Amino acid sequence: MIIGITGALIGLVAWEIFWRSHDFVPDLDDDDDLWVIHRAAVEEANKDDMVIVGSSRAYFDLQLDKWEEETGRRPIQLAIEGSSPLYAFDDLVNNTDFNGTIVVGVTEGLFFSTLFPEAPPNEKVVNRLKYYEDRTYADRLNYTLSIPLQSSFAFISDVSGVDGIKLKALLDEIQVGQRVPNPMPPFHKFSEVDISRNLRMTTRTATDTAFAGTIKKVWLFFNQAGSQNIPEKEATTNFFVENVKKFKDRGGEVILVRCPSTGVLREHENQVFSRSEFWDPLVEKAEVPAYHFEDYATLSGFDCPEWSHLSAEDADIFTAALVRILIKDGFLSN
Amino acid sequence: MLFNSLGFILFLGLVLFLYYTGILSWTNRKRMLLLASYLFYGLWNPPLVILLWISTIVDWTAGNKLAVEKNSGRRKLWLLLSMLTNLGFLAFFKYGNFLLENFTAGVNALGMTYEPQPMDIILPMGISFYTFQTMSYTIDMYYQRIKPARTFLDFALYVTFFPQLVAGPIVRAKDLISQFYDEKKATANQFMWGSFLLTIGLFQKVVLADTLLSGTADAVFGAAKVLNGLDAWIGTLAFSGQIFFDFAGYSTCAIGIALMLGIILPDNFKYPYAAIGFSDLWRRWHISLSTWLRDYLYIPLGGNKNGITRMYVALILTMLLGGLWHGAAWTFVVWGALHGLYLVIERFLRSKVRLKINPINGIFLALLTYACVNITWVFFRAREFETAINMISSMFFINNDGIKLLQYFDIFKVTVVISLLFICHYLMRNSSLKELSLKTPSWLFGVGWAIMLFLIAISQGSGQQFIYFQF
Repeated sequence: MIIGITGALIGLVAWEIFWRSHDFVPDLDDDDDLWVIHRAAVEEANKDDMVIVGSSRAYFDLQLDKWEEETGRRPIQLAIEGSSPLYAFDDLVNNTDFNGTIVVGVTEGLFFSTLFPEAPPNEKVVNRLKYYEDRTYADRLNYTLSIPLQSSFAFISDVSGVDGIKLKALLDEIQVGQRVPNPMPPFHKFSEVDISRNLRMTTRTATDTAFAGTIKKVWLFFNQAGSQNIPEKEATTNFFVENVKKFKDRGGEVILVRCPSTGVLREHENQVFSRSEFWDPLVEKAEVPAYHFEDYATLSGFDCPEWSHLSAEDADIFTAALVRILIKDGFLSN
Repeated sequence: MLFNSLGFILFLGLVLFLYYTGILSWTNRKRMLLLASYLFYGLWNPPLVILLWISTIVDWTAGNKLAVEKNSGRRKLWLLLSMLTNLGFLAFFKYGNFLLENFTAGVNALGMTYEPQPMDIILPMGISFYTFQTMSYTIDMYYQRIKPARTFLDFALYVTFFPQLVAGPIVRAKDLISQFYDEKKATANQFMWGSFLLTIGLFQKVVLADTLLSGTADAVFGAAKVLNGLDAWIGTLAFSGQIFFDFAGYSTCAIGIALMLGIILPDNFKYPYAAIGFSDLWRRWHISLSTWLRDYLYIPLGGNKNGITRMYVALILTMLLGGLWHGAAWTFVVWGALHGLYLVIERFLRSKVRLKINPINGIFLALLTYACVNITWVFFRAREFETAINMISSMFFINNDGIKLLQYFDIFKVTVVISLLFICHYLMRNSSLKELSLKTPSWLFGVGWAIMLFLIAISQGSGQQFIYFQF
């Protein structure tokens, strides 16, 4: 027993040192458990609170520290990478009494894609909402206990894909020939999250152009793969607008935000999801305040390192600028 | 609460501390174990502890009445009360929706339009396990095979003992209740062996089932496409390994944890994939359920005492109900029916052909048995018949144009793990882990233990639920 425990401890210390020497650091997983804590916080939120829903742009670009610094209140961040906000918004409207302000990040490729709950843009949100309903006291206890461990050991990480370091992720990355073509380029993790779900782009993504290039390749792959899908523009817009109306009827406010994108990705978006065909009709039908980065000098002119998200520093600037506009327009107070 | 979770490590640490610290008398330690067991269960869904309480109170009362009641009619009524309560819980919570769906389908088939709302029923974790366990007490009391539990505390702890509460082994009253009568304390060797079994169980679940096999099985059975024969076989083999490591892992953890408390639980698995034939398989797989079904279903149905036809009918019925015990779906019934059919064919062949098992035909027959078991696993794992039929067609290479899904490394990984699993089971089929450990040098034993602990730690993740919890 002594040999077993000592041997395992020595192995784990060596394992931890190995990953730290490869630039892995202790950090939190951006997982279902973290999300549901913040979803639960909505139940306690009041008229003065703000909730953010959306995809990764609302997640990267709206910095909670900066927002709190400017307004004195910290928004609840419920945006999810690679996801449409439709079902998260639907949940806030239909399953809570919240009547504060909901900031909805709009990334056209995701927002207008589909209403099918099991489709990739909705699947993660729907699963998290189900987990929110189903989670047990044991789940809550496990997560509480895992936080200090996640924050102390680099090797404790539930990340999947090329940057995953748990045994399953390491095995999944082994390639011995290719029996089935897998055109998806390696997708690296390029953000860090804290316990309040404030997500920031890593310094490496902002400074290492070769690394940022690997993320760009993934966006190009998604553009290619998504080109065969026809957006469900009418259905998604109507679904959203109906919920907006319900929410406004009970005194809530909705603010639409279009965060910056640049380069080839922006060109692609302009071709496939032109503003005049998607964003403008949505704003018109929803009849809510809407902020498109291209309409404001202080919200535009950023250089997204991988075309789709702002660096941490630029996200601070963008957030401060957006909050000031919202204050000026009377939607926020400081 | 899951054994493979941080919460359980804390829970077990506290239980062991209170158990061994010496501040509690034996009765108070049993009370502590009972409260801990309710907490263990309640942390999943607190209100459903009430079902446990009802089962406990009804069967305690019925057991006490059966101990003194002489009138055979009244004895039957007390037994009936216990059966109705426990089977009623099962019927409502586990089979409610299934019965409603089939009723609806039947009514609609008769031309009447009936569309009821599906019932939103939560399946209480492990309900099939604890209801079968507590029913065995009243049935044994009815047949006067056992004496009643001495105290309510002993009986309540028997129904609720946390190591085996939600996924077995299903322990008989005679094997467990009497252990609660006298003070129990694990010896140093028992404690160490219990810890080792807990480690092996977690290794089976976390590393072998969840890390090495579940991904391939999930990908194949979730593909919703007609697959290539090789992919279908690899996915099914992966599931055969996954379900074994998942369930045997749970049982091994349960036995280990109980042993750390000085309580001995029976083995639930004895290298089942080395079984030669299906009678042998059911003496090795989920032993506590198969013996339950034998004693409380197969034998009362006539067993092998009333002629061959009656025996075949009893076998098929027992396995059909055994299939339904696993889940409220027709795919589980087919799984049970196939096992029943295998047993009938085997009995028939044994009556016609005398075969002496030697190492060469033994391994061939074990492989044949394992291959046939894999066919049944397809129905067990597939959520719909269409998936199962497609998988079976692919496995018999009927779908020549089925798509390829798995990478070479997935195929290699599953092949290696399953081959090792089969070889280990075959080599160990007449032995035990305990015997093997006694022959192993202590340093090698320690190194193996260290490697398992290390691999468990680096496989960590979201703590996946055990498959058998849903049954």
